[in-house]
Formats: sequence, C-alpha cells, structure tokens
Amino acid sequence: MEPKYVSREMRDYIIEMGAETITWCMQCGLCTALCPWRLVPGETSEKFNIRRMLRLGQMGMEGFEDETVLFACSTCGMCVKNCPRGVKIIDNVRAMRASIVGGGGVPANLRPILGSAHANGNPWAGPREKRTVWQEGLDVPRFSPDTEYFLFVCCHSCYDPRSTKIAKSIVKLLKASGISFGVIGEEESCCGESMRKLGDEELFQKLAQSNIELFNKKGVKKIITTSPHCYWVFTEEYPTLGGEWEVIHYTQLLVKLLEEGKLKFSKEISKRKIAYHDPCYLGRHSDIYDEPRNLLASIPGVELIELDRCRDLSLCCAGGGGRIWAEVPMGERFGELRIVDAAEKNAQMLTTACPYCMNMLTDACKSLNKQESLEITELSEVLAEALE
Amino acid sequence: MTETTNRSILVVGGGISGLSAAIEAAEAGCQVYLVEKEAYLGGRVARMNKYFPKLCPPNCGLEINFRRIKNNPRVRFFTMAEVVKVSGSPGDFDVTIRVSPRYINEKCTACGKCEEAATSTFPNPFNYGIDLVKSVYLPADFCFPLRYVLNPTIIGTEEAEKIKAACPYNAVDLSMTPKEFDLKVSAIVWATGWRPYYAEKILYYGFGKNPDVITNVMMERYASPDGPTRGQIVRPSDGKPVEKVAFIQCAGSRDENHLPYCSGICCLASLKQATYVLDQNPEARVFIYYIDIRALGRYEDFFVKVQSDPRVTLIKGKAGEIQRLSSGKSVVQAEDQINGIITKEEFDLVVLATGMVPSTVDGELPVAVARDSNGFLLDSDGTGIIAAGCVKQPVDVATSVQDATAAALRALQFTVRR
Repeated sequence: MEPKYVSREMRDYIIEMGAETITWCMQCGLCTALCPWRLVPGETSEKFNIRRMLRLGQMGMEGFEDETVLFACSTCGMCVKNCPRGVKIIDNVRAMRASIVGGGGVPANLRPILGSAHANGNPWAGPREKRTVWQEGLDVPRFSPDTEYFLFVCCHSCYDPRSTKIAKSIVKLLKASGISFGVIGEEESCCGESMRKLGDEELFQKLAQSNIELFNKKGVKKIITTSPHCYWVFTEEYPTLGGEWEVIHYTQLLVKLLEEGKLKFSKEISKRKIAYHDPCYLGRHSDIYDEPRNLLASIPGVELIELDRCRDLSLCCAGGGGRIWAEVPMGERFGELRIVDAAEKNAQMLTTACPYCMNMLTDACKSLNKQESLEITELSEVLAEALE
Repeated sequence: MTETTNRSILVVGGGISGLSAAIEAAEAGCQVYLVEKEAYLGGRVARMNKYFPKLCPPNCGLEINFRRIKNNPRVRFFTMAEVVKVSGSPGDFDVTIRVSPRYINEKCTACGKCEEAATSTFPNPFNYGIDLVKSVYLPADFCFPLRYVLNPTIIGTEEAEKIKAACPYNAVDLSMTPKEFDLKVSAIVWATGWRPYYAEKILYYGFGKNPDVITNVMMERYASPDGPTRGQIVRPSDGKPVEKVAFIQCAGSRDENHLPYCSGICCLASLKQATYVLDQNPEARVFIYYIDIRALGRYEDFFVKVQSDPRVTLIKGKAGEIQRLSSGKSVVQAEDQINGIITKEEFDLVVLATGMVPSTVDGELPVAVARDSNGFLLDSDGTGIIAAGCVKQPVDVATSVQDATAAALRALQFTVRR
C-alpha cells in the first residue's frame, strides 16, 4: 500500500477557495448514503463518494482531483439539507473544483462550455447577437426605467431550440396578465450559477459583474427569472457582490397574478394526468414547492400526480452543478428513474419548472423510448396552453 | 381538600425518577405528594422489556417501589393529575393540582366485565399505538394502581351506559368531573421525564409510511411479555417472525435538523435490543448502523460482548434512505466506512434508535424554571424547584435513580431550612 500524505497547505488553499465549513464534518456518512448516485449503477456511482471526497479535502490529500469524482456532484442539495452538522457541502465541492480549475485543470469536455461563456456570455456556443432570436414575431417589450419587471431569460431558453418555447410561453403568460415587464437583450450575460459550481470562480465573477453593472445601469428594481438556477444565484450569491434587487421566479409571480384575478387558466388542455418534478434549485434550494402545484391545480380537469420522491426528497434530474454537460451512459441517468416513476403512475405528462430539468427529463424519456406515452414539458408551456 | 404543612414536598411525575425521589424523601420522614398525569405509575420504565446491561425486567424494581409507596403513609399519590398553578416562595409554595376524571372509582377489582361490554376501540397509548384498546381498559397488565380507565370521548354515549351496567361492583361513575385542590409544600421535585423524538420528522427513513420501520421504544413493547404481541418480535406489516433486523443509531440525534444532542442511551438500548432478537431466534442476524458507539464506563463490557457475537454486524456509517421493496423487505443504504464500500442490505424490520426529548420541550410551565435551548430544565439552585432525571438531561435508569435521590435530599433541605 502506498503511503498517503496530508497537506496542510492544500487544505488551507481549499478552505480559502470557499470551503469554510469543510472542517465541521464529523464523517457520519449521511451525505454519501443519501446521494442520488446511490440509485444508479456504473463507474461514477462506484467512484464518487462525497463523504470520502470531503475527507480528502479536510486533509488536503490527493485523490479528489480525478474528474469522475470531482465533477460528479449535481449539487442537488439532498446532503446539504439533511447534514447533521450543517456542512455546506456544495460550497465545499465548488471550492475543491476551484482549487483544480483555478490552476488550469479544466476537464476537456468543459473547456468549450467555459470558453463560450467567456466569449459569448453564454455556455451554449451561441453568438451574443443571437440571444434575442427567440423573440422574433413576439413583440417582446424592451425594458426601460418605467418598466416594473425585468424579465431575465435563462441562456438555455434563449439558444436551445426546444427550450425557447419556455421563454415564449412565459412572455405569452406575462402579456396576458397585463403586467409591466421587459427584456434588455443582447447585453445580458449568463447568470454564471453553473460556471461557479464548475469551479470557474474568475468566470463567474466576470459574468456577475457584467450583469450587475448592466442591470443597475438600466434601472432594474425587480427581476423575474425563468430558471430556478438564475433565481437562486440572484437571491443567494449576487447580493454579496452588489446586486440587490427584488427577485421572483415566474411561478411565484403567476400564482400572485392568479390570486389577483389577472390571469385565469380556463381552457382544458390535451393531457389530464400530470406528474410534477420538483427542480432542486426551486425546491430544496429555494423552498418553493407549492406555487407550481397550485398553478397546475388551477387548470380545469388536471389531476396532479406526485412522484415517489417529491418535495424535500425530490430526486435530482442530474442537470445541476454543470452535469448538464456531462456524458452519462444510459442506465446511469437519474432522469430515467423519474420517467419510470411517472410512467408507473400512468402519468400522461411529466412537467417541471426548470429548463435544465426539462432538458434532462426529455433526454431520459427518449432514451427509454417513452415519448409516445409520456410528454415532457416545462410548466409555463402547460399554463400557456390553458390560457383562453 | 387543602393540605397544610411546611414539612411536605411535591413530586411531579411518577416515572422512575419521581417514584425514587418520593420514596426516598418519605422514608426520610417527609410528607410527600406525588402527581402523575398518566393513569398509572412507572412512566416510561413500565413500558420497557429489560434493563441494560443486566438484562433483567424492570417489573421487579417497580414492584418493590410500589410496595414501598403502599406501605408508607407519608406518600400520597394522584394519577391522571397535573400541576396547574404554583405560587409562593421556596419553603412555602401553594400548588393547585387538577385531577382528570377516570370514571372508574376505587371499587374497581379489575375483573374486566366492563371491557367485555365495551365496543369501540382506540390506539393503545401504552404500546405506542401498535395495537388497540377498548374504550374502557386496563392501562397495562401490571399497572399500579390496578384499576380500569374509561376513555372520556365515549361519555354521553349508549356504550358508556352499557359499560356502567356491566360492572358488578358499581365502580363505573360516569358523573365524575375534573377536580382541583390546593397543597402547601416546601419544595417541588420536577421529574416529568421525556418522550421519544417524533421519528416521522426524519423524512428519509419513512417512519409512519413504511410499517416495518419502528422506533426503539416500540421495540421494547414488541419484546415485552405484556406487549401487543406477547413478546414476539414480528414484522408489523404481516406479523411474521423476523430473521434480519437493522438498528439505525442517531435517528434524529446529534443532528442540527432534529436533536443536536446525543441522548447517551440509544447505543446501549440497540445493543440490548439486538439480544432480544437473537434470544428469540438464534438464527437471526442483526446489523447496527452507527456514527460512533457510545457505551460509557462499565457499559463498554456490554458493547464488547454484543459486538463479539458473530450474528451481529456493526456498520460504521449513518444510514441513508430506507426503501421498501415490493417483496415487503426494507433496504437500508449506508457506506461501510471501515471497509470502504457502499452497502445495501434487505431487512425484515428496521428499528430507529430515536433519542429523548424532554417533556418540557414546549409550552408554558407552571413553575419558573429556566430551560436550555433544547427544553431541558437547568439547575435552579435556591428556587425550591428541583429538576430530576430525564427532564434535566437524557440519562439511563440507574442515573435517573441516583439523580432523584440527590433531588430528594435537596428538597428535604427546604423543609427544614426555615
């Protein structure tokens, strides 16, 4: 057996990168046992043990820098929510990634992603000037100092052809409600949430500063986000960097508009039995569980189906923490478990309130060849269909 | 009824701590009033199968204590009673006690005729709701006082009248009402004990949803000869004997999201309960999932003894979620940190080692005693109100008895100080 060496310098460096709570860990192992990786077979599941990874970090020992280990966490928050010591495990993972990425150790598959975010302000290799292409023919209002809400559309829904339908649906809903909202457009940059989770701290700071300057210059006071990831980073991480606005996820706003009578979902839709998947960044990270359910329940004829793992215990789609760019073999994708669960409950549709989740669930549905019986949607699309 | 004496003390709680404090003080010559909110004395200990580490049943010790109370004219006890108000100062307290109606008077011989006449049933509180009791019931086979109780929710029904008519001794009195009376005492021993942590709050273990996930206090009832299964440890879902049992330590303990403290007794309790399983079925296997085994002092010997049994597997790793399979087995997932592997084992029964929550965790107290952030009573020297046993800190039975004896001495000092 080879000797292992403890490095106080490495440990201190990791702590400096943001792993302030790494020494709180008492090694009980609940994180490893609750990790969604335990639910699937395969190499990553066998290699990735978050308790062990944190232990290596605690001691500054080698071994965590293996890509399969270091970049496996999808930051679902199941461990953080239940950690007996309140260890901020995701922050520690981020810091450990940063300690490698900061030194140039970016995995090959992530280089083009981070490069695009650097160059174009989005990770989807889309030119900046094409950020607003999805708006064509929609007459989306421009944000001006008189506009109440700034609508911040997730890069995914600006560039991914399937995902643009989310942006379009949300615009349709907001227009129907008559509220004052607008977009800024090409100058907007990626919120940087996933970039930071991947450990590219410098890139995150650049994107965040660019957005903060832009939003403040334009006179933004209130922001509607389409994605829970943007919502989370705007509410949890931007304030300490100087970005302080009233931020609301679109589901929260729509519930409010519904209650005020400014929106009504009166039209029956094509599917009745609808299962809802809680996005980690909306649910566990932001405690928004009821709003999407209340919106669904307000559509005439809809029967809401709860998956086995729901609300606090919801199973991650595997798209967080930069995992949306990971290549995962079939049979090892968390999303497939969601599809199986929804199908077993005879759901006709599986909906969610996050573009990443929609993306991951759509892929899983295709790989299981269930597209005929189970439709994957984002909640805004369902709601837009139910508008009179 | 008003009692006046400044040479008397009040003991609140008739569990092992309260009983011990009351008897010790009375045997030192003091007048003692003992108030218990349940219909019987003995508290949580009366619901245990065996003590660790000697593995003897608690009944004999309780029997001796009950006899000491019966034989001692200086102890007066009230069941179904609670303290509603305390005023005055150390050495001179005025206390108001409220007694809830039992609807069964002292003529009861526990013949059981009333129970035969009863038709409705309720979850049995003594057995943590594992089985049902009739609307008129004996709290437990060996309860003290040995007298029936009538469930107040049936008052005014035809069933209540039938029960009354069935009693050959005229012991059913449906006209009973709550009664209040005042006492004058010099000191008060507060020994209101604990309750198990609400295991359903630990969502990932599925307690309350998966019938084969039980708590350690429920295990005591299953294993007890006077329990719901007459001592047979079975799978709640189908009543079949168990062959493989998991114990999950720190279920909600040492956990900021639940109880931040260690209850100190759960490791020993699970090691003890492992012996229940193996004694009943020598072919059985037991797995204990732990963070650290905390067996202090001489208890280390008991730990080593159970640990060395080849049928017992100790897994260092806090258990994650418990999944119920369609076969009815429950799968416990945990990392075996000693061997560096992820384990998934199927079990017939999973026992959650839940910790102790002080009875004073919430609500207003009739006495002005400070509590710590977890609801345990803090030491309150000089106030005349002395906490004893698990209401002060989580402890085992032996420590409770010692603490109660110390509390009795401090209470006695208030009776002579003036």
